[in-house]
Amino acid sequence: MVNNQNSNMSILLRGLLAENPVFILVLGTCPTLATTTGVVGAFGMGLSATAVLICSNFVISLLRKVIPDTVRIPCYIVLIAGFVTIVQMFIHAFLPELYETLGVYLALITVNCIILGRAEMFANKNTPGKAVLDGIGMGLGFTLALLLMATIREVLGNGSFAGIAIPFMQDHTIGMFVKAPGGMLVFGVLIALVHKITHGKAPVKKDFSCAGCPSAAYCKTGSACASAGQNPEKAEV
Amino acid sequence: MTIEKDQIKSVGVLFAICAVIAVLMALVNSFTAPIIKENEAAAANKALLEVLPGGGTFEEVDLSAYTLPATVTAAYRESNGGYVIQLTTTGFSSGLVIMCGVDASGTVTGALSLASSETLGEEKTYGGTLVGLTGATIDGADTVSGATKTTGAFKAAVKDALNAAIILGGGSVDIRSAEEILMDSLNEALPEAEGAFTSLFLTVASDTVDALYQADNGAGYVAVCGETYVALDGNGKAAAGADAALAADAEAAAAAMAIPSEALDLNKYEGISTSITEAYVTVDGVYDITIKAAGYGINGDEYTASGEYIYVRLAITAEGEILRCVTVSQGETDGIGSACAEPAFYTQFNGRTVADYEGIDAISGATYTTSGYLAAVGKALAAVDIMKGVE
Amino acid sequence: MFKTLVVILMSSILINNYVLSRFLGICPFLGVSKKLDQAVGMGIAVILVMLIATAVTWPIQYFLLVPFGIDYMQTIVFILVIAALVQLIETFMKKAIPSLHKGLGVYLPLITTNCAVLGVTINNITDGYNFLESMVSSLGCGLGFLLAMVLFSGLRSRIDDSNIPESFRGFATTLIAASFISLAFFGFAGVVDNLFA
Repeated sequence: MVNNQNSNMSILLRGLLAENPVFILVLGTCPTLATTTGVVGAFGMGLSATAVLICSNFVISLLRKVIPDTVRIPCYIVLIAGFVTIVQMFIHAFLPELYETLGVYLALITVNCIILGRAEMFANKNTPGKAVLDGIGMGLGFTLALLLMATIREVLGNGSFAGIAIPFMQDHTIGMFVKAPGGMLVFGVLIALVHKITHGKAPVKKDFSCAGCPSAAYCKTGSACASAGQNPEKAEV
Repeated sequence: MTIEKDQIKSVGVLFAICAVIAVLMALVNSFTAPIIKENEAAAANKALLEVLPGGGTFEEVDLSAYTLPATVTAAYRESNGGYVIQLTTTGFSSGLVIMCGVDASGTVTGALSLASSETLGEEKTYGGTLVGLTGATIDGADTVSGATKTTGAFKAAVKDALNAAIILGGGSVDIRSAEEILMDSLNEALPEAEGAFTSLFLTVASDTVDALYQADNGAGYVAVCGETYVALDGNGKAAAGADAALAADAEAAAAAMAIPSEALDLNKYEGISTSITEAYVTVDGVYDITIKAAGYGINGDEYTASGEYIYVRLAITAEGEILRCVTVSQGETDGIGSACAEPAFYTQFNGRTVADYEGIDAISGATYTTSGYLAAVGKALAAVDIMKGVE
Repeated sequence: MFKTLVVILMSSILINNYVLSRFLGICPFLGVSKKLDQAVGMGIAVILVMLIATAVTWPIQYFLLVPFGIDYMQTIVFILVIAALVQLIETFMKKAIPSLHKGLGVYLPLITTNCAVLGVTINNITDGYNFLESMVSSLGCGLGFLLAMVLFSGLRSRIDDSNIPESFRGFATTLIAASFISLAFFGFAGVVDNLFA
């Protein structure tokens, strides 16, 4: 429990930039692409995921000594799905329009790689305080990334920002950007840009191709990543 | 032993977590569920208010207690006597769902399409043009050319909504289609025919008789004279008690129709249009001509192109007056050129001559169909001129 | 009836392709589609799991969750069922058909966290499909996933052979290439609607 201010700060901040879950770790691609057609939806998605992430990180860290190793993944999934449903119910009750916008993607936070990934990589090894900081940092990093994507897509594709029309852009929209291909294009270019900026400092490829992969949890069991030809070690399940 | 213990512990922990989460979710749900329900009710009310602005509260009507047009799928009674009617109809494709508001005075206050898979999207704005119309004026509303199927179905649905509002309000209204009204009237006039009638192509000039129907079983005829239906028995005599003047006209028309027409040998006449497929002349000297017209599918040289012709049947007097014009068959584009099969189009020719037959209203959006049709009518008129000269 | 099923099948393969237009299952799409045989293996495993998951979750929704008024438990129940199913299928396959397990087994664990599977089971409920329609829709989504994977694996091998600017290597190019395939799939919009017109 003896942590100096500096390391707490770094836990909080690294999610924003150095280990941004979207651009550096390339986690949670599905919501990043699907819910960034508008700034409002992206913000809602980011905050919902952050709320779930903080809760799940906190509880998992709290229970890290109680949960047996063999059933930890089912336990995490139950906890995460539970928090997702609770967040979903609150949004349905108080922000019905956002609920409509996010649709099935709200429920799909359950399988968002970031949340299970952070549970497996950080929360079950650290104290609740640090886990919450990590949750806040990663969640905000996720939200910021979504907002960046959504801003580009909404301004170019719809000529508006958060639903408010932008005079000139309104008449010169590029519809593709709010459609599926536009999402992938913007995401690809942004990743390249982040690469360029953090050149040399960003984690090398193998860091995020396995540890950060969607099935990080299963990675330890060997089969999943071995199948993708990325991890030669193969352990028995 | 330890393995078993571990397993029991694992299952226990997992079960405990599931239980805690389930209880937590149930708690949150019991808190949020009423709010969600309230929101949804408010949202539904808002949708209703959109088509009936300024309305009060709404209450869904049980439709099973009423006989309503088939398109009506739901209805809401508004506290001030208005109605919001939900209708499902088929425009260019099926599943056009329309929400229509009708106020207490029977005026359309709004009409929106809730769901549709129409191609042109005209249904999204068309409803706005119908606001302010009533049961008396709805028939006069314009449809959108090029999207006549969509907007026509929309208009018909809104008319159904107006009728439904009257019925729900305790009134009664004739919701039968034109065909149903005709069939019911024929049956009423001549029940002996047992509902089977054939429409005769009337080649007799008559100021009063608009159409003549013959019973398939030989029980007699029914003459349609405006709003009046005059029944004639198997011998062509009107029943006692019928309007004397109309009865006389009807008897004359039936008697004239009973005399077989003389078929004409088309090869006999020099220079008549080869588009004519059949021609007859009655004893009164009225020519009964069937001619094929080149519509949109043919377009151009009618002898070489392939496609489906429009078959037009005309009754023309020796003086060159068109007594009757009917589209027998056609294969024009559905919803556009197919309007040439509508009585509203072909009855325009009745009473016209070579001097003014081109003055009819064209079918909007179907230039080829209209020009092909006009050309065929012109050829038929010219043919009568030639044929009467030979005799 | 038959017409509806064909329309559901074709539109879930081509127009609403889960990977290319709904962004579900992007992670394995980007991660595993490097070689053709892997792409096919993963695709077939996904079809299998989607079909079985739908066959199990649909009755659960309508015979268990709805009657008891606990449909808010949908997400948690579905994900658990899927996770358990995947485990079961893997164990069963390993014992009963080892040869198939060798080919597909390795992909199975990856699928639990594949949002396409959870997505398809939830979507079948929200779209109000009946059981048969749900199965057809799942088959379509699975086939669509397989199609996207196979198409993309061909492209990936070419990308690997090309000289790409430093910062665009890896995910960036992959995403941009995926964007073009997705754009190409737009061409299918309207095809299915007019299938029977």
